[in-house]
Amino acid sequence: MQHLADIPRWCEDVMDSASPARFARRSLLRAAVLGRADATRFPAITTVDDDAGTAQRSLLYTVTGRILDVSPHIVVLLTDRGEQRFALSASAVAWRGGPVSPAALRPGDHAILRRSLPGGPVVDRIWAEVGRATGTIIERDGPASLFVDEGPAKGRRIVMIPPAASGRIQVRFPRLEPGYLIDVIGLKRDGFLQALIPATAQPPYRAGHQPAAPMVSGHIPDPVSGTAVWHEPGEEPDNLLGLAYPALDPETSCEHGTFGPPSFSGDLYAVDPHATGPGCVRLPYLSVGSLLRLRNDCTERTRLLPVTSCGATARLFCDRCVTCGTSRRGRLADLTMAAFVELGGALEVGCFNATMMIGG
Amino acid sequence: MFTALREVQIPLLAVMLLGGCAAKAWRTLRSRSAAAGMDATGLVPLHLRHPVLVMLFMAEALLGLGLIGTAGRLGDAAPHLGATIVRTATALFFLVAVGALNELRQRRPDAGCGCFGELSDTPIGLRTIARSGVLCASAVATIGLPPLRMPSSSTEAEMWLAVLAFELALIAFLSPELGDVLVRLGYSEPCELRRLPVGRTMSALRASSPWRRYASQVSTATPADVWREGCWRFVVYPGIVSGRPVDIVFAVYLQARRPAIRVAVLDAATDEILGLAGAHESAIL
Repeated sequence: MQHLADIPRWCEDVMDSASPARFARRSLLRAAVLGRADATRFPAITTVDDDAGTAQRSLLYTVTGRILDVSPHIVVLLTDRGEQRFALSASAVAWRGGPVSPAALRPGDHAILRRSLPGGPVVDRIWAEVGRATGTIIERDGPASLFVDEGPAKGRRIVMIPPAASGRIQVRFPRLEPGYLIDVIGLKRDGFLQALIPATAQPPYRAGHQPAAPMVSGHIPDPVSGTAVWHEPGEEPDNLLGLAYPALDPETSCEHGTFGPPSFSGDLYAVDPHATGPGCVRLPYLSVGSLLRLRNDCTERTRLLPVTSCGATARLFCDRCVTCGTSRRGRLADLTMAAFVELGGALEVGCFNATMMIGG
Repeated sequence: MFTALREVQIPLLAVMLLGGCAAKAWRTLRSRSAAAGMDATGLVPLHLRHPVLVMLFMAEALLGLGLIGTAGRLGDAAPHLGATIVRTATALFFLVAVGALNELRQRRPDAGCGCFGELSDTPIGLRTIARSGVLCASAVATIGLPPLRMPSSSTEAEMWLAVLAFELALIAFLSPELGDVLVRLGYSEPCELRRLPVGRTMSALRASSPWRRYASQVSTATPADVWREGCWRFVVYPGIVSGRPVDIVFAVYLQARRPAIRVAVLDAATDEILGLAGAHESAIL
């Protein structure tokens, strides 16, 4: 074991690492040593719309930025490329806590736009200030305020449920109590999320007590089917095309939780997703930089996506997506918002039925 | 022979009851939730399920211990009354179980009986109901039996063992849990799911011939990167070949003994592959 001391203890998070370039080279090095035909000569992890033959790697449909101006026909967005203008299609729909006319969006809103055609100048969907809280309720203050633990990677946040949305959320989340799971979509507010839509049905078990995955004989089937969801960028760039993977290699990844002794009563309900088993779908151990081919079974759109962070919280949810038919149980991938929209997902729906091919 | 058949039932019933009780307790403790073992209580209203589960658990524990406690001289002390009460209660318990399982099977065909905790997740079938019926008959057979004693001869002991073996085989045949147990005993996780410390990978690598071949070209003691994809772990060392900075990439198959190891040497600046070692047959991720 003396060699272990030689290994630096890296954090397998593409945003936290001091050298994200090493993640980008992994697919290339893997292909070189295993002699695979899928060797790629350009970085797997990219956050910009570059032109270097990155049809598989750049954002084709999605644009993210801050709204500078909006009119019934034009939206002006401040993106990482500067100010950009997009025409709104006649059928363009916007979401800002609910379906609204694009003209109702406000300058300063953080927005995600979906183009009608790949790379085209016309957009047909806009989501503004959309946020999501996924994790374990660790404290409840009155009927409307929850403190939610989103796992070691994302931390904790306050979720407020307005009276108008309470009934809608409680139909699918009947147990808004500490120790139970929550997954809601809403509007990002200053310091909290205003929950408006349930993103799934609440699992009947307490957080961390998900049913065991069936045993696998031989090798894990490839492709594997299940649910794909999305997460807020957090410290990631808004336009990062990638996914948080639920089964990163525990030996070299983020599977070293930050759970210390409880400092307040809510800590007793916090669950370290790394310590609760593999979840109800068995996925092979991968690392940041590994490539996956993910298909949205509802839109039949497929993209090659790199693993960009740890998505262990997804293991806690043994749920199904019913966007188009009923998916298999279990979450395969927690996509960045840009990747989710890129694959044709609707952010307010929260999930799509997905098929994942390991190794691209 | 008939007496031997009756005498065997008492330890067998006690083991079945205490085993079921322990399996339920284990499931509840593991999941830290009583709700986990509530399949068998699906017939009663939601607010009664927890008390019913506790009653079921207590009944199994008390009957199992009672059967053992009243089997010998202790039972003899109160002229068979205690023993008769416990054995009759056991027979009633299994009789009620037959009815409850039959009802549950019709109302919730997807639910397991939960009789042996997480091993009993298979939907209730006729075999499960028949098992309760057999155990009910076994309990009835023990009513009025005198206190148990050790076999007086080897022939009697053999008779005991033969009867016990037959009945165990019958119960095994009627237990869908047995298949699950056998699968778990013989289960070996696929390499994609197996946890293997990085230290073992490094040890295997440094004991291999590819390492000895390339060690002189490695320029640092510490790898530049280590990561895993499925059944392979990759280790990258910076190195120098003919004065050119290179990356030496080792792929180590994740198995405990004599793992396959492949090597590629790439120009660090251009990513051009300068050398390969190891078979390049189709690799399973």
